Amino acid sequence: MLRYIVRRVLGAIPVLFGLSVILFLFLRLLPGNPAVAILGQHATPQLVAQISSSLGLDKPLYVQYLQYIWQLLHGNFGASFVDGRTVASTFLVRFPATLELTTGAMIFAVGLGIPLGRLAARHPNGWIDGAVTALSLFGISIPIFVLGYTLVFIFGVELHWLPAVGQIDPRLNVNPVTNFSIIDAILSGNVNAVEDAVAHLILPSIALGSIPLAIVTRITRASVIDVSNEDYVRTARAKGLTEKRVDDRHIMRNAWLPVTTVIGLQVGSLLAGAVITETVFVWNGVGSWVVQAIENHDLIVVQSLIMIFAIIFLAVNLLVDIGYAFLNPRIRYS
Amino acid sequence: MAGTHRRWSLLTIAATGLLVASACGGAATTPAPASQAAAPSQPAATAAASVAAASQAIASQAAGQAVNGGTLIVGLPGDMAFADPSLVSDGNSLYVMTQVVQGLVGLAPGTLSDIVPVLAASLPTVSSGGKTYTFTLRTGIKFQDGTPFNAAAVKYNYERWQNYPKGDLQDNAYYYGAVFGGFGSQSNIASIDTPNDTTVVFNLKQPQSNFLISQTLMVFGIQSPTALQKGNADATPLSGNKYAQGQLPQGQDMVGTGPFTFKDWVPKDNITLVKNPDYWDAANAAHVDEIVFKPIGDSTARLQALQSGSIDVAVVIQPTDVKTAQSSGLTIIDRGQQTCNMLNLDLNQSVAGKPTIYANKDVRLAIASALNKPAYVQTFFAGQALVPTSFIPVGTLGYKAETLPGYDPAKAKQLLQQSGVPASQLSVDLYYPSNVTRPYMPDPKNEAVAIANDLQAVGFKVNLKTEDWGTSYITDATNGKLPAYLFGWICDWAGADDYLSVAWFGYQNGQPNAQFHYANPTLNDVMLKALAAPSTDQANQYWGQAQDILAADMPEIPLSSAKTPGAYDSKVHGFVPQGGVLEYLNSVWIK
Repeated sequence: MLRYIVRRVLGAIPVLFGLSVILFLFLRLLPGNPAVAILGQHATPQLVAQISSSLGLDKPLYVQYLQYIWQLLHGNFGASFVDGRTVASTFLVRFPATLELTTGAMIFAVGLGIPLGRLAARHPNGWIDGAVTALSLFGISIPIFVLGYTLVFIFGVELHWLPAVGQIDPRLNVNPVTNFSIIDAILSGNVNAVEDAVAHLILPSIALGSIPLAIVTRITRASVIDVSNEDYVRTARAKGLTEKRVDDRHIMRNAWLPVTTVIGLQVGSLLAGAVITETVFVWNGVGSWVVQAIENHDLIVVQSLIMIFAIIFLAVNLLVDIGYAFLNPRIRYS
Repeated sequence: MAGTHRRWSLLTIAATGLLVASACGGAATTPAPASQAAAPSQPAATAAASVAAASQAIASQAAGQAVNGGTLIVGLPGDMAFADPSLVSDGNSLYVMTQVVQGLVGLAPGTLSDIVPVLAASLPTVSSGGKTYTFTLRTGIKFQDGTPFNAAAVKYNYERWQNYPKGDLQDNAYYYGAVFGGFGSQSNIASIDTPNDTTVVFNLKQPQSNFLISQTLMVFGIQSPTALQKGNADATPLSGNKYAQGQLPQGQDMVGTGPFTFKDWVPKDNITLVKNPDYWDAANAAHVDEIVFKPIGDSTARLQALQSGSIDVAVVIQPTDVKTAQSSGLTIIDRGQQTCNMLNLDLNQSVAGKPTIYANKDVRLAIASALNKPAYVQTFFAGQALVPTSFIPVGTLGYKAETLPGYDPAKAKQLLQQSGVPASQLSVDLYYPSNVTRPYMPDPKNEAVAIANDLQAVGFKVNLKTEDWGTSYITDATNGKLPAYLFGWICDWAGADDYLSVAWFGYQNGQPNAQFHYANPTLNDVMLKALAAPSTDQANQYWGQAQDILAADMPEIPLSSAKTPGAYDSKVHGFVPQGGVLEYLNSVWIK
């Protein structure tokens, strides 16, 4: 097992290295000058030259790349062109927000998707199944920003049931300790703050979780139907086991496997979806940060964030693969 | 920090109790310390009177019903850049800093260019042909960290900026360089004398008529020298400068003399200010205990945040959202007839070394007559913009009303005939930027289409062309590669010089600005005289002449001046809109 993990980690190195080269070239080949983005209407040719030189953009491309990769190998993700803050420090502040949001979305998607999938699988092609299928199609086809603005409009602007934007009401004066708004609210000892933080999480979690919900529902349904037709399930029923026991011990245990894979694969799409969700809900995470960095031509930030996303994605995939071994003892890695 | 806040609240309740009492008793008779100021020169006296009037208006509005306390949440279109005012040049940073720091002079609330003394006791006396400015300072003022405000503090700040080394600090201190012509020995400030604790004398190398109006910018706000030194505010690179990053404990960075104190900043998420309980101008002390600024870049999200009550004020909303905002019971921030931006159709008289048809004055005048500007204002700004009456907006220092060509297609056709340019050459490559909206340009593409239609109606053939704003449009425009293009300017300070000289027609290294290739030595001469004029009045005469020349020549076509609407919730009161989108929030209260 350990050897397997080591091999996978070593295998990730050329992937990340290749990505760094492609990203670097791709971002530099894009037209536009970060100095112009920084200066805006004050972008006189002299000032553009001055700022470009300060940012090191006047050096040859390979020198810029070598500097970047040298820093990266020392664990230094560089600093923003715009505000001078290091990517690492800003990431540590903003990542908890994204993690909180993606966790919320995952809880929504898995918590609702698996029961819905099982429900649909119980009566394949019945009206419940049809309704669940329709819901999945809706979830997967509606763009996140449309769903986001619509949810805010209905539940925030019109009904005033849930807050429209942000992570917590600033009037509550919750001190950011961990930058997880719910944990910070709990630490503040203020029950209202905890309620407020949870309320802020609901709409963005639904918006971001809509696509994973659809996928988890569909896969659970398919997987459960698939396993239900296996011989050992028929045997279990023939033994006279209760339907609940058949469901829990024989069907779900085996049906979990593809569902887990899909949940793991959703991490990538959640990070991509967070870019939009965080912008719509003014969520101070890494997703909205990417958008701001792209708008500002903040190349180092964009590059480092995508590298970090790639590392997260590879790590989660590895964890999912390891997770298989625990869920299904028949799988062995060597 | 919650605990800290509670202590603050108790303090401020006690303090505001006293302040309310003094405000009620004193509003009518002693509106502001400004009125007590010695008035050494005539302009100072009138300015002192006007600040008195302005603060009286606010005080009386507030005195009857103002409620103290509470937290005001203000949605800004973007985040602050740095916590050190001298290092910023964007509107969001300045909006925050306007509440915390103050300069020697400032703008009267709600005005664009009404210069009033703030930390100075009166407007300065000017001598030596406009080269010496002598300020008498107010006494008894303390910075928010307790450091006394005096002449040495002023000198320390100005010399700190002047001596910024090359690199991070100079790169970000755009305004010091732009206003004084550079840093170090290049600066137009020769020396600063402090003969006593309350007198500061600026000795300029050359007279500089924009000195006072430019010093109303919050980037020239005076900060506590103690805090600057203790916080190591000049450290570079800025990534490691905790003062500039606003990450020092409360009371140790962005320490000014204003009605609010900087508390903390979670980048991109919020900036918190708290009421300064010891504010020197008691009659104008803040009403709310706390202001939280929330940067919301997406304009739809910002409006929804306001509609749902997540924020109390949206400083800026889209002009096309004004009706929606009104129908959901919000109050529109109408910044009135005084604006601080201008959208032009720029005409470049020479591209790639060849003269264009815009070198012909009749062609330029024909274009000016062909454009239906009132229609653009209605269509693209939902009426939230003004049709220009000169090359600079109303309310700008040095503004002179001009009779610009109105919409008259018949006249345009006649001018084109008169121009002698053959019809086959009347071809316009009209550029508009893509992937951008600016406050002065909410819908560049469709506005360009409308302009193209108007031009075609009088006989031009128009090719619409576009470039990406951040990628190439700005640089191609400023480097003189575009022939006819939409381009705007948001004022840095509301002076004629900022538009006419800095942005557009000032010669650079003896050459006309490549954006226009408009060679007019007379205009340049008049503008240089205006800049070097020893007094504002004399400068304004020259600026008037400059506008006369431009109106006759039309080297660019002013299209509109956007009003930049905002909106706030019905519980917000005492908001005094300002045309340049820089409001003082000390007069605001919530109920």
